[in-house]
Amino acid sequence: MADIALQNVSKSFGAVEVIKDISFQVKQGEFVVFLGPSGSGKSTLLRMIAGLESIDRGKLLIGGRECQALAPGQRDVAMVFQNYALYPHMTVRDNMAFGLRNIGMKEKDIAARVADAARILEMDALLDRRPSQLSGGQRQRVAIGRAIVKEPAAFLFDEPLSNLDAALRVRTRVELAQLHQRIAATMIYVTHDQTEAMTLADRIVILNDCRIEQIGTPLEVYTYPASRFVAGFVGSPGMNFLDAEISTSGKEAVATLGDGSRMAMTISVPDGGAYELGIRPEAVQVTTGRGDTTGEATVVENLGDRTLVHTRLNDGTSVIALDGGRSQIAPGDTVTLRFDTSQLHLFDSAGRAYHAD
Amino acid sequence: MTPAATRRTNIAGAIITVITVIAAVIWAFPIYWGIVSSFKLEDEVVRPYIELWPEHPTLRHYWFALTQTQIGSWYMNSVATALGVTVLTVSTSLLVGYAISQLRFPGRRALWYLILASFMVPTQVLIINHFVLIANMGLLNTWAGIILPQLIHPVVIIVYKQFFDQVPKEFREAAVMDNASELGILTKIYIPMNWGVTTALSIVTFIWAWNAFLWPFLAVTRTEMMTITVGITQVSDAFGVYYARQLASAVLAGFPVALAYLLFQRRVTQAITLSAGIKG
Amino acid sequence: MIRNARKDTLIAYVLIAPFVAIYGLIFVYPTIDMFILSFQDAPLITFGPQTAEWTGLDNYTRLPGDRRFDTAFWNTAYFVLLSVVPGTLVALAISLGITRLSGRLQSLVLALFFLPYILPVSVVYRIWDWTLNFQFGIAMHLFDTLGIDRVPIFKTSTWFMPAVAFVTIWWTCGFSILLFLAGLRAIPAEIYEAAELDNAGRWTVFRKLTWPLLWPVTALVLTIQLILQLKIFDQVYLFSIGGRPNDNLVMVYYIYQRAFQNDDGGRAAAIAVVLFLMVIVVSVLNFQLLRLAERKT
Repeated sequence: MADIALQNVSKSFGAVEVIKDISFQVKQGEFVVFLGPSGSGKSTLLRMIAGLESIDRGKLLIGGRECQALAPGQRDVAMVFQNYALYPHMTVRDNMAFGLRNIGMKEKDIAARVADAARILEMDALLDRRPSQLSGGQRQRVAIGRAIVKEPAAFLFDEPLSNLDAALRVRTRVELAQLHQRIAATMIYVTHDQTEAMTLADRIVILNDCRIEQIGTPLEVYTYPASRFVAGFVGSPGMNFLDAEISTSGKEAVATLGDGSRMAMTISVPDGGAYELGIRPEAVQVTTGRGDTTGEATVVENLGDRTLVHTRLNDGTSVIALDGGRSQIAPGDTVTLRFDTSQLHLFDSAGRAYHAD
Repeated sequence: MTPAATRRTNIAGAIITVITVIAAVIWAFPIYWGIVSSFKLEDEVVRPYIELWPEHPTLRHYWFALTQTQIGSWYMNSVATALGVTVLTVSTSLLVGYAISQLRFPGRRALWYLILASFMVPTQVLIINHFVLIANMGLLNTWAGIILPQLIHPVVIIVYKQFFDQVPKEFREAAVMDNASELGILTKIYIPMNWGVTTALSIVTFIWAWNAFLWPFLAVTRTEMMTITVGITQVSDAFGVYYARQLASAVLAGFPVALAYLLFQRRVTQAITLSAGIKG
Repeated sequence: MIRNARKDTLIAYVLIAPFVAIYGLIFVYPTIDMFILSFQDAPLITFGPQTAEWTGLDNYTRLPGDRRFDTAFWNTAYFVLLSVVPGTLVALAISLGITRLSGRLQSLVLALFFLPYILPVSVVYRIWDWTLNFQFGIAMHLFDTLGIDRVPIFKTSTWFMPAVAFVTIWWTCGFSILLFLAGLRAIPAEIYEAAELDNAGRWTVFRKLTWPLLWPVTALVLTIQLILQLKIFDQVYLFSIGGRPNDNLVMVYYIYQRAFQNDDGGRAAAIAVVLFLMVIVVSVLNFQLLRLAERKT
């Protein structure tokens, strides 16, 4: 079936290596998201699969067929561009038919496919309009329709939601998820928005600095980030990072924070010494009982269902903690914080991650 | 500002507006005067006082021009040569503009510099050599001979290149993903996406060619091969001067371009500002 | 994006082929031919260029002592002086007036000012020849009312150049107006609103805001006009019909006269080369000045 495999793929622009020896597989029907900051190489990687950028070394297999030397149109993939690139002088119908006409398909078959796609995307009424007569969301749908009619082995999306306003982005995200369930096609999706990645992906490929940091399901990368980079990049608000001195005895370890407070945990690290301790805000509770440390509330963000309390520990370290929706805390208050030590992560100086049990 | 000051500037503004409108009317008055005179009888035309409207409006000068002179063939020559110049200039420039903007090939830079250089060379200095060339080719007194030396319009290429440069590269990529060939990308994407600029450039090129004087004047010696722009100045009546008749033929010569301008005002102004290097 | 270099090159060469052929024939070759011809004694019409003889620098060394060349050169300079700066100022004034208007009135007024530019030179010639006609011209009624003696304008040397310059400004002003209007539209309205809040008067706004912000366009208009008017021929030729062409010579007219009336292609080519160099020098100088001005702002 139409799975996609990259084997030891590399690419350079002149002397700059932009993709460094990347290998992974996408299963048939899987929704894979390339997530990473700008310049991480995620778009380049997608364009290499599409055939818009050359693959200098390594192999690209689409449905078992070697594709790295084929022209973009012959790879059996379809792409949805960030700015949609809908041909402004053609109607929606002609936009969708353009690629099919170029391969010499019969007009009758084209009409059938266009009608099918229009039904799936619920845009029958828009077929004779031009792109300039459509709203942003409708254009987005046409762009997807243009991909659907080709019935490709895989859909490639290059940041397709970034041109939409916030409300529409959420709605379209849901529609995309539904579409994926309905047509069960292989999809590769590039974004820098980790909410999109978390909500849409079967698996996320996190890219940084031209290489893969981690591949995993959304829950895996969230719960067990493979590196300091992934831990910091995934999740909003971001993970708290504190300098800690670790002393170990077997599977038990004790961390001493910068403000002198200590906490015990179960974790396997090779040696004691200086680590960065990471913990997500939801694992830091504001409590009235006994806690691990105290801090001064600097900013209180009430989100209704929960409250983010930005605190400063004695040594100046910032920690974001979570409180209930009806928090009474005011800036300047001293709060007691309790760390859920089962959700702790330690990162060594190379960025390698260790997770508490 | 105090209310009094505001009122003062409003009055000053109103005065400027009125002056501008009056100036515009005076500015265009000679054109009106030429047209209106062409509808008067010859003896009305030479009356020693001003009549803003003909006493006995007449079409006889137009009738004369169209039946007794060669204006008919001059019209044909003008239409044919102006269309020839327009089609050849716009089509070749479009292809070159596309090649320079979208393709990479050896000599691209040299070609671009040649085009920029020709921008600076006044075609008027080439008249002698154009004449020798066209004479040697045996093309004097032919449409081709009138058309050929008028095909130097580097500005059309420059405008096309600018417009093609501005097409986001995603359109080319989308077309490539859609299996379009290079020719398909040009004819189905880039040209249709820029119809507006093609229309604008075609209209002004036509106007330029219709209005050309120096070269058509040199290239043609036989009266029946003249363009109308040249013809109306070269052939005069054998007996005396008929002002209204002359004006009627001038109106006929100016009518097509004036009409083109009035119909496509926005396109013409767009093309002209573009040709000067200003984004319209 | 991936490009197939060989395919790109092939397609590009096919696309540029017609243009290169035409340009080689009517631009590159004639330009080189002009220089060659300027070193020859070459009758154009009577014997044909094949009878040309090399004469070295003769055609050039004869220019300084040539009275008609002298006339042509200074008349051209005089015409440029009379038309370029005044024409630019008139266009600026008109566009400042037009830019205040809005909607239909603005397009109507613009059309009235722009219409002359669209007309062929021979029509312009007929219109003004009629308007300024010594016996029946409507302008002469104006002369009479103002108590000025009627003059046969295009038959009088002192009046000729100023009158042609006047007609030329009337004819070509529309072009400059369009450029100025585009320049004025590019100035953001907020700047004027800020100036109004600062209590700036009309004149101050023009001097301190509009003029400096419009300067790049003004420089562009001046450049285009300068190069255009150096090449003047049509109007001078037409208005000289039945007059005294030898007094009214300008550079291109002299090229025409030498080549086609005196049948002397070589000397005509030498004059053409001089004009060619004048235009190139002016263009390059202008370009440098514009760049300098751009760096300052």
